[in-house]
Amino acid sequence: MPEKTKKTLLHSWHTACGANMADFGGYHMPLWYPAGVKKEHLSVLTNAGIFDTSHMAAIRIEGPGAFDLLQLCFTKNLAACVGKKQSPLKPGKCAYGVFLKDNGEVIDDAIVYQLSGKLYMVVVNAGMGGRVTEHLKVRSGPRRVELTDLTDRLGKMDIQGPAAAKILGKVLANPEKTLQGMSYFSFKGEVGKTTVFGSQVRLVDGIPLLLSRTGYTGEFGFEIFMAPEHIVKAWELIIQSGRDFGLIPCGLAARDSLRTGAVLPLSHQDIGSWPFVNHPWPFALPLNPEGTGFTKKFIGDEALLNIKEPTYTYPFVGYDLRKVSVCAPAVVLDPEGMKIGDVLTCVTDMGIGRHNDRIFSIASPDKPENFHPGGLSCGFVKVKSKLFPGQIVYLRDTIRKIKAIIVEDIRPDRTARRSINEMMA
Amino acid sequence: MKGIDQLIIPDVRYAPDHEWARLEGDRVRVGISDYAQDQLGDIVYVELPRVGDTFERGEVFGTVESVKAVSELYIPVGGEILAVNPALEGSPELVNTDPYHEGWMIDVKPGDLKELDALMSQNAYVRMLKGLD
Repeated sequence: MPEKTKKTLLHSWHTACGANMADFGGYHMPLWYPAGVKKEHLSVLTNAGIFDTSHMAAIRIEGPGAFDLLQLCFTKNLAACVGKKQSPLKPGKCAYGVFLKDNGEVIDDAIVYQLSGKLYMVVVNAGMGGRVTEHLKVRSGPRRVELTDLTDRLGKMDIQGPAAAKILGKVLANPEKTLQGMSYFSFKGEVGKTTVFGSQVRLVDGIPLLLSRTGYTGEFGFEIFMAPEHIVKAWELIIQSGRDFGLIPCGLAARDSLRTGAVLPLSHQDIGSWPFVNHPWPFALPLNPEGTGFTKKFIGDEALLNIKEPTYTYPFVGYDLRKVSVCAPAVVLDPEGMKIGDVLTCVTDMGIGRHNDRIFSIASPDKPENFHPGGLSCGFVKVKSKLFPGQIVYLRDTIRKIKAIIVEDIRPDRTARRSINEMMA
Repeated sequence: MKGIDQLIIPDVRYAPDHEWARLEGDRVRVGISDYAQDQLGDIVYVELPRVGDTFERGEVFGTVESVKAVSELYIPVGGEILAVNPALEGSPELVNTDPYHEGWMIDVKPGDLKELDALMSQNAYVRMLKGLD
């Protein structure tokens, strides 16, 4: 961790707006704004929210050895990762995976963007730019690559929620052309040696962007990169234009509850210093169709195939909004009361509730009449033996014990994968 | 985030764990301070004791759950629970919107009113929050 807490360039905007601030990944970040976490969470499910994600780091990798280095270090098979046909990554497409140590433990998760033939950008978590750059440098060997840690050289914000494309329609210089054909995990724009530069993708006032159809909420939306000097202006423009669509600024607390409901891991909490197998994110591994081995060689692969003491990570949902505290810490008990593991994440998704044993979201098209969800606790457990969807476990911290059910998915009817045409209409 | 001075009112006494207590006739009404609710964020659930339960000063009488965390509530004045706020079951957000009045939590029949005197005044609590003491 850095010795001194850093601030993003939107820090004074957040504090002037009355945000509750806290340290996260070495940055002083908004937890929530005066609207409150619940409104922020719900707004992303029904309208849209905007998040300052400038604390995240990026690394630029350029050179004839770039692809080969990423194939060695990144778990996703970049030669077979795009679409149902599993075609190779190409310029304008990005892929999610993780970087592992030789022992199969996670260094960090990341999205790899192919900018052009021999040029990639890797987006990692806050404070991880230096660590991952160093890892790539050490592992590059004789490969000809130039690595640049872009930590604090990119401004980044995420617009997430079903209204995201309509809002971008108001602020992009050439919205129809820009948004056209933007499928999930595609992007448009360029990154130079130091930051986003003179790309074709611009805001109405000329600010160049890298616009990525990705996010960390499970909802339809975009991650937007730009040069840091433009971020305050861009943020204010988008907030002003988004107001008519119900866009509100959202903090890290809503980001955490949204991503958990979407079954997405938090690096160093749900994935971390244990082998990256037996978890809800098999799509981040280059598994063969039978799931018995890998389609490429990569750092950590041998360790993952030879686990001596396996652990299993599963999503769970509780029966009301009450949660347990993972800092307490919280343990997982089987129905007989035996400890079988630990709770990794436990939050409340305020947008979901049960009706006749089925979970609905406020965004479910077939939700019951007068559906006012009370919220459900949810998260991830890591246990010593296999569990199956439908199995009941109990989670206990120092304050309480709650009942939970192991599930395959948490918040239904998420919008992340909807077609861009549908969301622009 | 509101300034500390805006969050603290004069007519109640404060405990170090951010509960407040106010003498109302022969009973003591208890809730959490505006500072505490501001730190917790959206309060989504409040777990309160049953009428008739008794607690010694400092014992846990319930929990308050925000989207961020679950916190235990410590009784600032020991005694018997005379009433719990029925509105909090359906509207826990009252603790956020009106922590000193509509968002009250319990009424206690105090065992020893000296415990109330031992709590902090507005000034002392503000000094504690600002880290001055």
